[in-house]
Amino acid sequence: MVGAGAVGARAARQLLFLGETERVAILDSHRGRLEAVVASLGPPATAAADLRDAVREADVVIIATPAGHRGAAEAAIDAGASVVSVSDDVDDVRALLGMDAEARERNRHIVVGAGFAPGLSCLLAAHAARSFEEVVEIHVAKVGTGGPACARQHHVALQGPAVESANGTWQRRRGQSGRALIWFPDPIGGVDCYRAALPEPVILAEAFPNAARITARVGANRRDRLTAHLPMLRRPHPEGTLGALRVEVRGRQGQVQADRVLGAVDRPAVAAGAVAAMAARWAADGRLTRTGAAGLASLADPGPFLAALADRGVKAAIFEGAGASAHQA
Amino acid sequence: MRAIRRGVLALVLAGIAGAAVRLRRGGPVPLQQGGWRELTGPELK
Repeated sequence: MVGAGAVGARAARQLLFLGETERVAILDSHRGRLEAVVASLGPPATAAADLRDAVREADVVIIATPAGHRGAAEAAIDAGASVVSVSDDVDDVRALLGMDAEARERNRHIVVGAGFAPGLSCLLAAHAARSFEEVVEIHVAKVGTGGPACARQHHVALQGPAVESANGTWQRRRGQSGRALIWFPDPIGGVDCYRAALPEPVILAEAFPNAARITARVGANRRDRLTAHLPMLRRPHPEGTLGALRVEVRGRQGQVQADRVLGAVDRPAVAAGAVAAMAARWAADGRLTRTGAAGLASLADPGPFLAALADRGVKAAIFEGAGASAHQA
Repeated sequence: MRAIRRGVLALVLAGIAGAAVRLRRGGPVPLQQGGWRELTGPELK
């Protein structure tokens, strides 16, 4: 486990809950936090001295640090381990996806974006897509942040540019543009969401290469938007409150075009920890569908994965009703 | 000097107007017609 912050500590705890985990070696740059996490987890957890020590003899390495996961991923692959990254940074995600050939060659997995968003968002998209013969559009929206690193990334993401997949090409759109009122599951309700530098289109385009349009938006309030281009005015919170996801998939079933809207509500760091731990467990057990570097939409069977998450308290929801679509064609 | 002051004033007013437009509250919020329910076991296969 590289990183023992809000997500990393929870992923380690979830891993131990899932069982069959011999040892969790944890590395963190904050010595006090590392010792506290190791002490709270008990004997299966040990403090690693450095990255080399953390990845040595590991089956799977979960990377839950702020962006810059490629170096740790390379060290893990070199040590013969699979990788689970919770990065939500576009450049980071692209760098990890670029390791696909190397991971396949070594018969290892690199699960890219195995957190709340991306992560749970990709699973919801993949699950909704199963209702259609052909996926036409995917629109992801999220609101809320996990730990301080996630809050900083949210701040940076609003600066843009957003990347969107449109008919096989990449479009760069201005951050904070494209306001849309998105309805999330209760108790979050309606939130204004905007384009931002979010990695979902990059990850989902690999899983759905024929989709005509893949977009992502993030909920932001006025202060977020006004201060996006300034340094953060105050220290980010240790942990955010409730967050939510909404994933809308449009597709064709025969001649009929329809929407399917899935969502989830949880504390983002809690859900991210559960998703990362489950992805690591599945990678170790050989339950992922193929080797190489990709998101969970490509690497995991979404139904059983979501069912396993539901057993851990991370539950998906479906929207039923008229006017489900929040996006214009 | 007067021209500079007027220029600065115009920039400030334009900035305030731009911020107001950027941060304006939208129109009436359309109601959601429908509801959310939890996905259950058979739907997660």
